[in-house]
Amino acid sequence: MSVIERNTQTMPVRTKPGRWMTEARKDMVFGYLSISPFFILFAIFGLFPMLFSFYLAFQKFSGIGEMRYVGWQNFRFIIEDPLFWKSIYNTLIMGLLGTAPQILVGMVLAYALNSALIRFKSFFRVAFFMPYVTSILAVAIVFSVIFSNQPSGLMNTLLGVFGVGPISWNTSEWGVKVAISTMVFWRWLGYNTIIFLAGLQSIPNDLYEAARIDGASTRQQIWYITLPLLKPVILFTTFLSTIGAWQLFVEPLVFFGRLGDVGEEGMTVVLYLYREAFRNNAFGTASATAVLLFFIIIVFTVLNYVLTNRTGRAGQLGKAARAAKKRGEAV
Amino acid sequence: MITKKWAATGMSLVMAASLTACSTAPTSNSGTGSGQTATTEGGKEVIELKMGQFGSTGYEKLAEEYMKDHPNVKIQISTSDFNDHHNNLFTAISAGSGAPDIAMVEVGFIEKYRGAQDRFVNLYEMGAKDLQSNYLDWKWSVGESADHSFLFGLPTDIGPTVMYYRTDIFEAAGLPSDPEKVAEQIKTWDDFANAARTIKEKTGKPMTDNVELIYNALRDQAPEMYFDRANNLIVEKNPAMKKAYDYTAKLIQDGVLGNLALWTPEWGAAMADGGYATLLGASWMQGNIKGNAPDAKGKWAITQMPEGAGNWGGSYLVITKESKHPKEAYEFIKWITSPDNQYKSFLDQGLFPSATAVYDESKFKDYTDEYFGGQHTAQIMSEAAKKVKNVYYGENFSIVQGEILKALQNVQSKKSDPEQEWSEAIARVKQQLERK
Repeated sequence: MSVIERNTQTMPVRTKPGRWMTEARKDMVFGYLSISPFFILFAIFGLFPMLFSFYLAFQKFSGIGEMRYVGWQNFRFIIEDPLFWKSIYNTLIMGLLGTAPQILVGMVLAYALNSALIRFKSFFRVAFFMPYVTSILAVAIVFSVIFSNQPSGLMNTLLGVFGVGPISWNTSEWGVKVAISTMVFWRWLGYNTIIFLAGLQSIPNDLYEAARIDGASTRQQIWYITLPLLKPVILFTTFLSTIGAWQLFVEPLVFFGRLGDVGEEGMTVVLYLYREAFRNNAFGTASATAVLLFFIIIVFTVLNYVLTNRTGRAGQLGKAARAAKKRGEAV
Repeated sequence: MITKKWAATGMSLVMAASLTACSTAPTSNSGTGSGQTATTEGGKEVIELKMGQFGSTGYEKLAEEYMKDHPNVKIQISTSDFNDHHNNLFTAISAGSGAPDIAMVEVGFIEKYRGAQDRFVNLYEMGAKDLQSNYLDWKWSVGESADHSFLFGLPTDIGPTVMYYRTDIFEAAGLPSDPEKVAEQIKTWDDFANAARTIKEKTGKPMTDNVELIYNALRDQAPEMYFDRANNLIVEKNPAMKKAYDYTAKLIQDGVLGNLALWTPEWGAAMADGGYATLLGASWMQGNIKGNAPDAKGKWAITQMPEGAGNWGGSYLVITKESKHPKEAYEFIKWITSPDNQYKSFLDQGLFPSATAVYDESKFKDYTDEYFGGQHTAQIMSEAAKKVKNVYYGENFSIVQGEILKALQNVQSKKSDPEQEWSEAIARVKQQLERK
């Protein structure tokens, strides 16, 4: 409310003195009311629980009964727990295995879909996007059959052809990570491809035409036009993928089937906090884990930003190209 | 007081936000109860009772019948998914608002709600003591507080455990396949281990599906488990638990146990093609076996487990403190869990009765199942039910259970040292218990 009032004071449209509800004010109130459903719901179901997690992180609380303030004890419990660090390591590794190839392959696929060489474009576009809208439970069943522990499992049979012994996909350190990363890769590849495709289509064709007239090769076009102009999109998908990778939860949970079957090889940070909260009823330590995860994600997002901003020559040229484009439009 | 209210509301929101499936998040704590209203209809007061349940119980039909005889009572039953139901109830209990008058609570969740005794009606105060003799002792006792002074709920169904086995595998191994002879041959767990070795030798097949159910079977036959009634962790001092663990670890090292995790597609598929010799499951596992192996009719048979039986699953009906009409609610749950109606629920939905009088009913005793070679399945299960030990689980049961199973799974998949795994599991348990 105070925001609205403060804003109204700066509005110079008070035409009829004495009447508070001027037309401009009416418009403004109407505007705020129109957008209020989101903000009200977000405040109740998004913001408040988030802030409350910070409060809970300093309490000992079993979900029912009294809360007790325990200071930094919850954080100490977690930091001293080797399983927490293991879960960080696992999440990092699976994030790298699952999302880095996604961005690279996604870009290549998007480029291919955007090129004039491919027919049935809309078919492929839908096909690539399909996994994203497939029910996660169905995906889990299919993947648990593919990555079955048994020597007769699909992947193990396939590997057997190359003389690789049967792998225990559920329990071995790398088996679990490869299986889950494959699932993440498969499920999210189409999503990133579509975003890249949109980015590619927004690059004006005349830039390529001008480059061709100047004698630029395809490789040069990609390097000096496509990649630099795609940078905001790359940045966006990298951000989203990083955040998504840190929040890895559904895929490992359904891959293992039951929370109890998740071994330390497949424990992610969110699974760890979920187990704290909903199996152990230790909501304090679960919230403390969430708070730590919050800061980890912030650090990684900043790191991402800094790294992608320093893409060197390509980035500089991207700016030059955009500047050139603007100039071209002005003329 | 205000901060506590906010805390409770906040808690429910945190949980509502984290559980996407949670549909009825209470946002107010104004104490309007669960919305029961007393309206007047034709000069008579009509009492509305809300009941929350999971699964298919057929209670809707029974409620209709009850309402016909009690025109002043209106019962609304809402059914949800097992996990959603219990999570929503947990949230409602935590927030102190939004719970129905009557709720069905699975035995594992009775343990989880123990800490919130003050949010439930003590059925002993409603006169439930008179009903105790109708039910199996152990079932009744799990529904009580640790000191037996408080009764959370009235017993509905149970899940006594038996040994399902593949007759074809037993025959191939040169073992008897007739249920009575099998029970005679496998009387003790030593016999079971011997049979396991024979089967592995002769057929190459594992004795059980995985490490979990065999460990559980031994665990359930002990007089005490992980906690004593004062909630002290006694798992280290309890020789029975270490014995169950060591026995399972030994069989793992002998290579006679399978590694098909429960509820996975392969586990189900192996049920159909005879991937393992025995399944130490509860009475309701009959449905899973028939569903997974529709063509294996006559290949599965049922007999008693060696040295006793256990219980897996089953529920209670509880009344929440929020209820404005605990008396009427109590009358209803007393009626629906009565021996007569448990008999009806058994015939209608196969809910296995906890009221012992049902075991003498003719249709119960004579109940046979062609799928299991015409065995008197209900009667076999009732024998198992009578053998179940009266044990106290404790509210942190699932933490200990989870870590011990993890240890056994590690022994199996990583071939690690059982002693090492045991002490690591106990250390993890202690570390987690400290946090709540």
